[in-house]
Amino acid sequence: MVVESLLPILVFVIPTVCGIISLSLRRINSIIHGTIAVAGLLGTLCVAILITIEVLQGNVLTAFSNTVYADGLSALMELLGCGMGILVAIYSLRYIPVHVAHRPDAPQRLSTYYGLLLLFLGMMNWTCVTNNIVWLYVTLEATTLATAFLVTFYWERRSLEAGYKYLMLVTVGVIFSLFGLVLIYAGAIELPEMKGRDVLLITELSRVGPKISYSVVLLANALILAGFGAKAGLVPFHAWLPDAHAEAPAPISALLSGIVIKVGAYAIARTVTIFAPQYPAVVVFVAIMASLSMVIGILMALVQDDIKRMLAYSSVSQIGYVVEGLGFGTYLGIYGALFHLMNHTIVKALLFLTAGAVAHMTGTRKMSELGGLVRHMPVVAVCFFIGAIAIGGLPPFNMFMSKFTLFMAAADVGLLWAAIIAVFTGLLTVACFLRAAARIFWGRPCKAIQPAAVAANGGEVHLPISMLIPMIVLAILTVVLGIYPGLVHPLLDNATMCILKILRAGM
Amino acid sequence: MPAVQGIDVLALLMIAHLLASLVASELRNLRLSAWALVVQAFFLACIIASYGVVWNNPSLFIWAFVTVLTKVIIIPSLLLHHIRVTGLTMEIRPLIGLRMSVLMSVFLVVALYWLFRTYIYFIAPTIAAMMEPARSNLAMAFCIFSLGMYVLITRRDVVKVVVGFVLLENGAHLALITLAPTLPATTKLGIWTNVIIAAWLLIKLAEGIYKALGVVDTLSLSELKR
Repeated sequence: MVVESLLPILVFVIPTVCGIISLSLRRINSIIHGTIAVAGLLGTLCVAILITIEVLQGNVLTAFSNTVYADGLSALMELLGCGMGILVAIYSLRYIPVHVAHRPDAPQRLSTYYGLLLLFLGMMNWTCVTNNIVWLYVTLEATTLATAFLVTFYWERRSLEAGYKYLMLVTVGVIFSLFGLVLIYAGAIELPEMKGRDVLLITELSRVGPKISYSVVLLANALILAGFGAKAGLVPFHAWLPDAHAEAPAPISALLSGIVIKVGAYAIARTVTIFAPQYPAVVVFVAIMASLSMVIGILMALVQDDIKRMLAYSSVSQIGYVVEGLGFGTYLGIYGALFHLMNHTIVKALLFLTAGAVAHMTGTRKMSELGGLVRHMPVVAVCFFIGAIAIGGLPPFNMFMSKFTLFMAAADVGLLWAAIIAVFTGLLTVACFLRAAARIFWGRPCKAIQPAAVAANGGEVHLPISMLIPMIVLAILTVVLGIYPGLVHPLLDNATMCILKILRAGM
Repeated sequence: MPAVQGIDVLALLMIAHLLASLVASELRNLRLSAWALVVQAFFLACIIASYGVVWNNPSLFIWAFVTVLTKVIIIPSLLLHHIRVTGLTMEIRPLIGLRMSVLMSVFLVVALYWLFRTYIYFIAPTIAAMMEPARSNLAMAFCIFSLGMYVLITRRDVVKVVVGFVLLENGAHLALITLAPTLPATTKLGIWTNVIIAAWLLIKLAEGIYKALGVVDTLSLSELKR
């Protein structure tokens, strides 16, 4: 049932307003900024939970004549975004002030940090509730603009370079998707079925997908995939991703890998799927791009010495699984893709936060300079190990379930080669992450490194509790969702049906 | 089509728009290049206003006004301010020399215009879009978009990279106007706001890079490749 509601508006207005407040308060204490962020995001999470309850009862929430539209897929993305936003804000409470303490403009930097973090989440939530194809582009581009100065937060050579590449490549990339979306709009506007209807709405466009000229659909889909694929970090549009994820502050890296690239995948799910059932070529095209992403991403991850770069390349690989599942266009494929999207958000955030904790305490991100940290940071070591096994797709953790679903989905649609590539990538991922865990936490400590924090505490390291809590929460989620995947089944099932509804509307 | 004494005004505007794009991309003096961008954007605004007359669509006049505000005034002002801050008025030697670059960009524009105009059915989704003046305008839009890409790829100077980015955006917007002139005003406003913020962020980053590293050469941003 379609219900008019204010909730889908509140879900993006609350963080946006809090972000503007944070940006305007330039000289206040970091604790106040942190409190505004956590309080604003808790409020937003409550709204997201209310939306989820409504959609699980079979309702779709709309506002402004269907331009704002929240269904199961929107609810899933908002829950993930808000949940991750809160954990990142809590982690940042003690992490970020330490890293800018030596700067004269530290209060302004903190204001910018929390303000942009909230603005990003506001724009991301807006992306997830918009039903208008051009606003999808506008808000998705706004998420890039909001995060650009978060990537360059340290304002040093490497972060400036990473931010410049991020902004340039993603902004230019996303313009391609605007071209694609406008082609679809122009192709649909003259159809008799669209007379008197709002042609910009995804729900309306999905009804006339097969009636739009074949050459236009192919060109538009290629442009949309290139544009949103650049945002998602799909190969070959991924050049920005390793630099941006590695040079941003650790909590922002967690957000970039956990949420930002998923927004690109979400946009693909909302648009390309309109045409998938009519044109099998689109399915194969998506599967080829996704498989390339999986293999190239993990091969690049294997040769990295920097932990964060390794994690970033692994994200290129993992987003391949998500896009491939979406491209299959079957219930199993989409369900697996959304489950994997959720699991990767949790696990990659966990891994980035643990990597941030390691760099915070040791002053280095190079695995060749690390070793034996399990003695100093046992909780972080356990969290990283859980994340490493999970991302490798081993039982009993959450990503085993989602990867297995995707393997089954690939076999189910007859793309056996895609299933084999996915399994092969999974094996390489296990090798890559277990080797990294062993190098960082086990073995003999490298003599070249004498962590200042370790030395100062007589060999004992105590991470602030505000940094430990997010890691522990994410590790618990990783285990619980692996053992009880049924907990999230109703929401995943609902979100999957939302995409299938778009697919079937055009059949 | 408005005609003044047998001269097709819209066709003239399109040719002027294209020539200004070529000049903005090829001038080595950054200040002059920014001024050429002003002229280019002004012609874009004129084309949009002409469409407003041709299609009797008053909302396009607002769009033309916003184009003047954002692309003729705000973005070039930001660029000129950046040039003043750095004091560097001449472009860093690009990857391709001046003569070769002029030849290549002219060839690129002519060849692509012919290609897009001849095979318009690949990029035009409707019969109306295949007819004049949309046909020529779409081909022109794709040419300017491609020229922007060419500048982005071949130029090392941060200011020229921003010029390339703006050309690319202008090409995309020309296509948008041609294919979707009836887009609601709020949607257009959203797109325009994004462009200004993106250009502002790029210029701020360029200033940051200049202050931190003392360079405006994008090729020197290669620390992360090591």
